[in-house]
Amino acid sequence: MFAFIMRRLGVLGVILMGSSFILYNLAAYSGDPLADLKTSTDPNRDFLMISLSRELQLDVPPPARYFLWLKGVLGLFVGHANFGMTREGATVGADLAQAIPVTLRLVLASTILAIVMGIGIGVVTALRQYSRFDYSMTFVSFLMFSLPIFWVAVLLKQYLAISFNNFLREPNVPLKGLFLLALASGIFWASVIGGTRKTFWTVFGTATLIAGGMVAIMDAMNWFLHPGLGPIIVGGLSVGIAYGVTQLSVGITNKAALRASLTVSAATLLVYYPANWVFDNHQGALGVFAIFSILITVGVFAGISFSKIDRGPIIRTAVLTAFLSSIIIVVDKFMQTWQPYMETDAINYRPVPTIGQRSDLLDTQDFWVSNLDLVMHLFLPTVALTLISFAGYIRYSRGTLLEVLNQDYIRTARAKGLTERTVIMRHAFRNTMIPLTTIMVVDFAGVIGGALITERVFGWSGMGTLFYRGILSFDLNLLMGVFFVTSTLSVLANLVADLLYSALDPRIRVGSGA
Amino acid sequence: MKLQRSAKFALAITASAALAVSLLTPAQAATRSTVILHETNAITGLNCSLSATNSTTCSAVSYLQGMGFNYYNNKKELVKNTVFGSYKIVKNTKTDFRTSWTVNPGRVWSDGTPITGEDLLLSHVLQSDAYSIAAGLGDPKSKTAKPAFNGLGYSGVYADNIVGEPTLSADKMTVTLRFKKPIANWDLYGPGPASVHALVLMAEGKKALGTVAENEAARDRFVAAFNAKDSVLLKKIGKVWSEDFTITTVDKTTNPLLLVSNGGFILDSAVAKTSVTLKKNPKYNSGPAMSGSIDTVVFKFIGDGTAAAQALANGELDVYAGQATADGVAALKKISAVNVVGVEQVAYEHWDLHYDTVVDEAPYTGLFSVKDGAKSLALRQAFLLGIPRDEIMEKLIAPINGVTTPLSSTWVSPGSALYSKVIAANGSSFLTRGTQASRNLTALNLVKKYYPNALKSPVKVRVLVPGNNPRRASEFALAKANMAKIGFDLVGDVRTDWPSLLGNSNYDAYFFAWVASSVTQRQSAEVFDTNGGNNILGYSNPAVDGIIATLDTPLSEAILGAKYIAIERLTNADAITTGVFVHPGVVAVNKDLKNVKPGPLSPQMVWNFWEWTY
Repeated sequence: MFAFIMRRLGVLGVILMGSSFILYNLAAYSGDPLADLKTSTDPNRDFLMISLSRELQLDVPPPARYFLWLKGVLGLFVGHANFGMTREGATVGADLAQAIPVTLRLVLASTILAIVMGIGIGVVTALRQYSRFDYSMTFVSFLMFSLPIFWVAVLLKQYLAISFNNFLREPNVPLKGLFLLALASGIFWASVIGGTRKTFWTVFGTATLIAGGMVAIMDAMNWFLHPGLGPIIVGGLSVGIAYGVTQLSVGITNKAALRASLTVSAATLLVYYPANWVFDNHQGALGVFAIFSILITVGVFAGISFSKIDRGPIIRTAVLTAFLSSIIIVVDKFMQTWQPYMETDAINYRPVPTIGQRSDLLDTQDFWVSNLDLVMHLFLPTVALTLISFAGYIRYSRGTLLEVLNQDYIRTARAKGLTERTVIMRHAFRNTMIPLTTIMVVDFAGVIGGALITERVFGWSGMGTLFYRGILSFDLNLLMGVFFVTSTLSVLANLVADLLYSALDPRIRVGSGA
Repeated sequence: MKLQRSAKFALAITASAALAVSLLTPAQAATRSTVILHETNAITGLNCSLSATNSTTCSAVSYLQGMGFNYYNNKKELVKNTVFGSYKIVKNTKTDFRTSWTVNPGRVWSDGTPITGEDLLLSHVLQSDAYSIAAGLGDPKSKTAKPAFNGLGYSGVYADNIVGEPTLSADKMTVTLRFKKPIANWDLYGPGPASVHALVLMAEGKKALGTVAENEAARDRFVAAFNAKDSVLLKKIGKVWSEDFTITTVDKTTNPLLLVSNGGFILDSAVAKTSVTLKKNPKYNSGPAMSGSIDTVVFKFIGDGTAAAQALANGELDVYAGQATADGVAALKKISAVNVVGVEQVAYEHWDLHYDTVVDEAPYTGLFSVKDGAKSLALRQAFLLGIPRDEIMEKLIAPINGVTTPLSSTWVSPGSALYSKVIAANGSSFLTRGTQASRNLTALNLVKKYYPNALKSPVKVRVLVPGNNPRRASEFALAKANMAKIGFDLVGDVRTDWPSLLGNSNYDAYFFAWVASSVTQRQSAEVFDTNGGNNILGYSNPAVDGIIATLDTPLSEAILGAKYIAIERLTNADAITTGVFVHPGVVAVNKDLKNVKPGPLSPQMVWNFWEWTY
């Protein structure tokens, strides 16, 4: 194992050296940094050219210049790496340090969302193979897969930002929109739940009515201007979560788990007003952390006290319920912040932004308002990235689950008389996750490379922007800095994926065959 | 079914009730005092005179923060800023030309320190190669070592002509410069104010604003070092000036000395590569008084044009400025609450024909080589006649800004009285006479004189086509189509590294744009002078050189016009170049924001910030 890792790390070094040498030279020969000056009519043009050549060491031929760069980078091993200066006079290290968190913020949420939603929908489509839902999700996933992000972004900005903001000036849902929304919801739920023709129409009718009714009520209450859930809905949602989580993890028939989860829901309701008081009077991440900790502690104790045997899964269920319920409380708080946020001068009743990482003019010390601002700026990029990337996960998880479901051990499990829930969740789903994990790890490494186009259309400046700038202005040091980070990460991610694979699947062992 | 119907009915009633309720909520009305401007490129520092930071965005941001003796308005006129000070010629002989620059008393920096003539001396350090060498600050032209002030100001007209050091008057408010001969556009080569006291304090390691007395003492230390050429202090200041201003993040921890200025606004905060926020300078009195209602200006950096247009539509921007495309302009015009203003840029598109070998290039023996005498002249004339300039205007430029007349001068830009005078007499009528059909006929006859079979087996012309540019691709396609009618077959070589190939003997023709950063008497001289830095055609005409040599002294507009006409008559007779269009730009402004008048020259959009108002 150790030898395997060391060998892989050695190969990593060789790959990085070789590829960086090639890239450096390709980039250096690809263009002329003096090109702009050549069409300038400035009287001291020649001086400007001398000055730039001096800055960029253009007199040294690129293959030799590469080693000047490498010398700085190898300083990594003695504690002071020097990635050089960008053409804009900043150190490459500082630029990278600034860009990586931005990129993470931009892509992390959407990657997680895409994985969760993609796997969720993928599993459902596999279970409802060749159903209407399966066909429509297959259609949607291929559609999304093939859409270019810049186009999706333009549409999202037009409808979810510009039109929605205009709508907020006089927030009443037109009747046509109301019916369309209700119908869409009806069709969605009816296809997901499926079943006989009678169930289909019952589900369709109920879902249509509920969705339509909810939108109408929200509209009547001016909910879009003053959104919020209130203690009753928070409690209701928490109970729903309790049932859902229990059903998926240990089965609703496990009374101990259900009771533990429901206790957490009751605690959520109890903690609602105190939590809001804390949020208002002791602002900051600490308050949020406290609420999470309290509910999770309640979950742990409820799990312990309600269970006699098999404690682990029950505690896990209660803790998961507690975690999700805490999120609901925080979301509710954000919703309550919506109106004060919209009323600030900087936002002026146009809360959905199309561009940037935060509102430049927002002058506030309020934790919730400033964080809502960050969330709103993340909204459209996250939706866009999720839309185009979750399609892949749908296809992967659907395919893998279908394959697993055809395995002999699934038939054995069913033959033993296990419940369908146990067969799916414990026997099939866990095996599905093995190949998916490796995909996820590599995906996460790719994430750091930045979403160049997404960053550009949403005006973010992360790794993608650095890369773009490096190419555009022949900024070799910058380009190589970005390349160094992304290539190291992707090579490392492959290593991690290999190790994870062997950890998850006992049939596979690393290091054998060497 | 019955239930559903009644449900719908109930919904309809609820919805109508909701509509009634929401109509009662009051409309929002806010008085704004903020302008959010769009820039394509981010600033990379606060001192724009370094090669790392020099950009039009940087100039715009620093223009808001600093006023000098003059500025360019939207008509490319250099306007005197009489609030700040005055300047005049004090001696004008062939060998001794002196200009004096006086700061009006009472002008102050944003930290309250009075501005005096001593603040103008740093300009000399930044522009004079001789001073840099004499004071031990390094030779700016050295290929290996950087000068202490690693700026872009050296080796220009100022450095070539200045004699000695600027002299300070007894009241310390006036600086006099002495040049070795009268220089054209002398008003562009004056000093600008710099808050030297802040530089000195920073060089001494200070991190907070000083009192007025401390500041004046610091300034005295600079003046002493300047006069004594004390390289120790000057080098320290140079280090601060060259390195400390390359910051792109400004917040409460930033050294306030970096932000001392005399403009209408002072930098309040900046987020790296994202935005810059400026707030009104309460002590501002160095320029026209602020008559508008603006107290905050934000520059937002958005690289993507579509994204910026949508941000404008969503009210996140007040002013959009960008490269113009026909589609883009149409999209902007659809946004309500926005005025779309066309604006000319300083780049002019033109077609050039290779004339002779360029220095350091392989010998040029192609189609248009002057060595072929009358034949190559006829072919050059035919080629210029064959460029479908009207069609290019109509199809590529008019949809953006409505301009349909092609550019007929490479020295004067359209819109001025001088322009119409020049084009009436500069020989360009040869290319504008008749219709394109009649010009094609003339061209075909010229070609047929030497290639009787040209229509059947057309003459190949090698053209360098700038890559990565849709408009130029269309321009080339239009030209190629029309040239086929006069017996030329344009062979395009599409290159993204085209600027380094200009002058290469493998091409017979080029088309691209020259970009000017100021309006001077010499204008396009570098392009047509035999030894000019931008002479990429190998063009050499002693008569032209002779006239260009006389452009260095200050001339009246009438004489200047006559000289331009004389030069253009010669270059047009040699048929080496023709202009096509001035690059169009587009600016879209929030309808409520008044008095935004974008101009083509830096500082472009913001030159009249004091007039902006809601």
